[in-house]
Amino acid sequence: MTTQQPQDAATERADESAPQRANGARVLVIDDEPEIGRTVRTGLRGAGFGVEWAATGAEGLARVEQWRPDVILLDLSLPDMEGAEVCRALRAWTNTPIIVLSVRAREADKVAALELGADDYLTKPFGMGELIARIRVALRHIARTASGAGDTLLRVGGIAMDLERRVVTVEGREAHLTPTEYEVLKFLMANAGKVVTHRVLLHAVWGPSYEAEGHYLRVFINQLRRKIEPEPSRPRYLITESGVGYRMRSPE
Amino acid sequence: MRESKQTMNPRWFWNGVGALGAVLRRRSTRAWVAQSALALVSVLGATFVIGYAQSATRISNISLLYLLVVLWLAARYGRWPAILASVFAFLCYDFFLIPPLHTFTVDKPTEWISLVALLATALTLGHLTAAVRARARDAEESQRQTDTLYRQATLIAASASEHDLYATLARQMVTVFAPSGARSCALTLPDGTIASESAAHPDDTGVGAARDTERITLLRPLRTQRGEVGALRLTGTPALGGLWPEGITGGADIATGAETDARQAALFTAMCDQIALAIERSALAREAAHAETLRESDRLKDALLGSVTHDLRTPLASIKAAASSLLREDIAWDTPERQELLATIDTSADRLNRLVGNLLDLSRLEAGVAQPAFDWTLMSDVIATVLDRLDVAGLTRGFDIRVEEPDNAPLAWMDHEQIEQVLTNLLENALKYSPQGSVIRVRVGVNESELRVAVIDQGIGIPPGERDAIFDRFYRVKQERLPWASARPPVGTGLGLAICASIIRAHGGRIWAESAPGAGATLTFTLPLAGERPVGALPDLPEPPHLPAVAGTREGEG
Repeated sequence: MTTQQPQDAATERADESAPQRANGARVLVIDDEPEIGRTVRTGLRGAGFGVEWAATGAEGLARVEQWRPDVILLDLSLPDMEGAEVCRALRAWTNTPIIVLSVRAREADKVAALELGADDYLTKPFGMGELIARIRVALRHIARTASGAGDTLLRVGGIAMDLERRVVTVEGREAHLTPTEYEVLKFLMANAGKVVTHRVLLHAVWGPSYEAEGHYLRVFINQLRRKIEPEPSRPRYLITESGVGYRMRSPE
Repeated sequence: MRESKQTMNPRWFWNGVGALGAVLRRRSTRAWVAQSALALVSVLGATFVIGYAQSATRISNISLLYLLVVLWLAARYGRWPAILASVFAFLCYDFFLIPPLHTFTVDKPTEWISLVALLATALTLGHLTAAVRARARDAEESQRQTDTLYRQATLIAASASEHDLYATLARQMVTVFAPSGARSCALTLPDGTIASESAAHPDDTGVGAARDTERITLLRPLRTQRGEVGALRLTGTPALGGLWPEGITGGADIATGAETDARQAALFTAMCDQIALAIERSALAREAAHAETLRESDRLKDALLGSVTHDLRTPLASIKAAASSLLREDIAWDTPERQELLATIDTSADRLNRLVGNLLDLSRLEAGVAQPAFDWTLMSDVIATVLDRLDVAGLTRGFDIRVEEPDNAPLAWMDHEQIEQVLTNLLENALKYSPQGSVIRVRVGVNESELRVAVIDQGIGIPPGERDAIFDRFYRVKQERLPWASARPPVGTGLGLAICASIIRAHGGRIWAESAPGAGATLTFTLPLAGERPVGALPDLPEPPHLPAVAGTREGEG
């Protein structure tokens, strides 16, 4: 029920490994609460981001078109439209990372937004360090997608996937995956840092008729962890996002 | 018309005959006839004996034999046969034994004296004896009634439940008044429910249907000083009418019914009064219990409010103090000081958030709003998620956390997030009450019927008296018991384990604590493993059209 987010350690690490272009990156905050809007703006500006704040969904959509932010922070309870609608409208024309801000007890909205293309979520109240870390992960993902379109090597921490040779290595040792496991891992690694919902993963790997088979997916992921995780009962890479899906996390 | 008028007369006649027959059939009438006959026969017998004695040998005052007969009748049957016998003896003595015989005249004046003396003595003797007898019978009867009432009072005092009590009282009513014709009894309570209805008297089974036309029903309101508390309905033969003539509500011909027995009626009234008091007492006890429940609930609410207020105010006060300190323009804070104040704000906000979250969870769980969103889930997934979150938050630093789970544990039917919260709370608890460097185990066991998860620590343990209390709201182990309390003060809301218990209850599982003093605590919960579990798996994808290529080369797609 509680979705307390990692607070301290992650922040420090994210700071160290932050790519240079994070500084100066544009962040649009779409949240109707002035307190949150102001505080987030101040905090992010202090961390070197360019920040704009929109108080409604409509205003937010307009600002995205005019200002072209690098990351969008989207609150799910807006006065004029559903957060999921904003997601859908944005995804119709842009791949700009969307980080959803939600409060507890609105899990369904969160999942809906993620399935409509949001990249990540944060539960209020959150620490500024955590928010900055998430923004940097999203920027890194975008950077990789942009620069490595033709790249045939995916790497998350100690896991490397050679798409060309269909070889997966964990800490240099080859992991023998079934074709299905390979496809699942490929999808997760290609979306590293992003929250992938059960439905999206099932759809991507097995097709639309398997979207409701979430419980088999759990068994499957459990098997996959035994092949790629150094300590399968304490996964470092393939993280379960409660009630939502999975995330490939880079543990450095 | 005419026909019906003609048939009316015979009916009236036969009704009259029937009534007379009924009177003759009545037990008391029959007894009266029998006793009168007995009186006459005994006197005749005595006359014969006296006559024979006088003719054989002269026995003086042989006429005293009559007195013996009167005495016997008075003692055995009461006043009426004694008086009858006295008068009859007087006549017989005069007619058969005092010359001139076979007339009612007397020759000698002295004979008059003995004759009148006989009559007077016989009447007085009969009267006195009958009075003594009646008094003895009264005493006996009142003893019996006292016994009955005492037994009723005992039943009332000893009854475990109200329902039992009324059933027992109704049964006793039937038993006590069965001689008066009672066959079944029902108690109606103020709210209109019939609290109990005793079965028909055992003797009455089988012939009941035939006698239905001769049944009457007595309805007696049950009253106490506070007013009417219910009603008692007694059904049986018409003789019952005598118990409470004004309460006869229906059934057989009332005219043939009511035959008053004052003592039984008094007993009936006394028993009804006692039942009324019992009903009232139950009602009062119920009210008292209800009031006590309300008071208890109020006390709990007060405690809750007090605790919540305190727990909300403390972090708020810290935040307010720290923030207002930082805002003061007249103080130039150096960096460590500012950091400390800011850290206070940060941790206090976390604490507030946790408390609000816990309170929300608990109220939603207890109001039944947060119905578990059940799904087939792997416990290993839940454990991994929880440990990951605790790791990231830095809470597990300095502890050795070991997961012991069987391979291929089955999917279990649970709400992933709720069970995650249970495990989070159990682990946070274990971390809070264990020394740095100790081992905390998460052990999963499976049998046919349930999945069992134990969190085993090497901490301070739980005293025997507190093993159930820790699952109560706002219960916290006393902090002075923690040797490291000053270095790592435990911050909890006192709600964590209460939430666990609530969630596990909603899952149909059990949760409990075990602890050996000083040897740590084991908190265990179970989840039922449903009979049918999903079988099968996601299909395997086909091998790709080309096998992994040789290193360094790249084959064209398709």
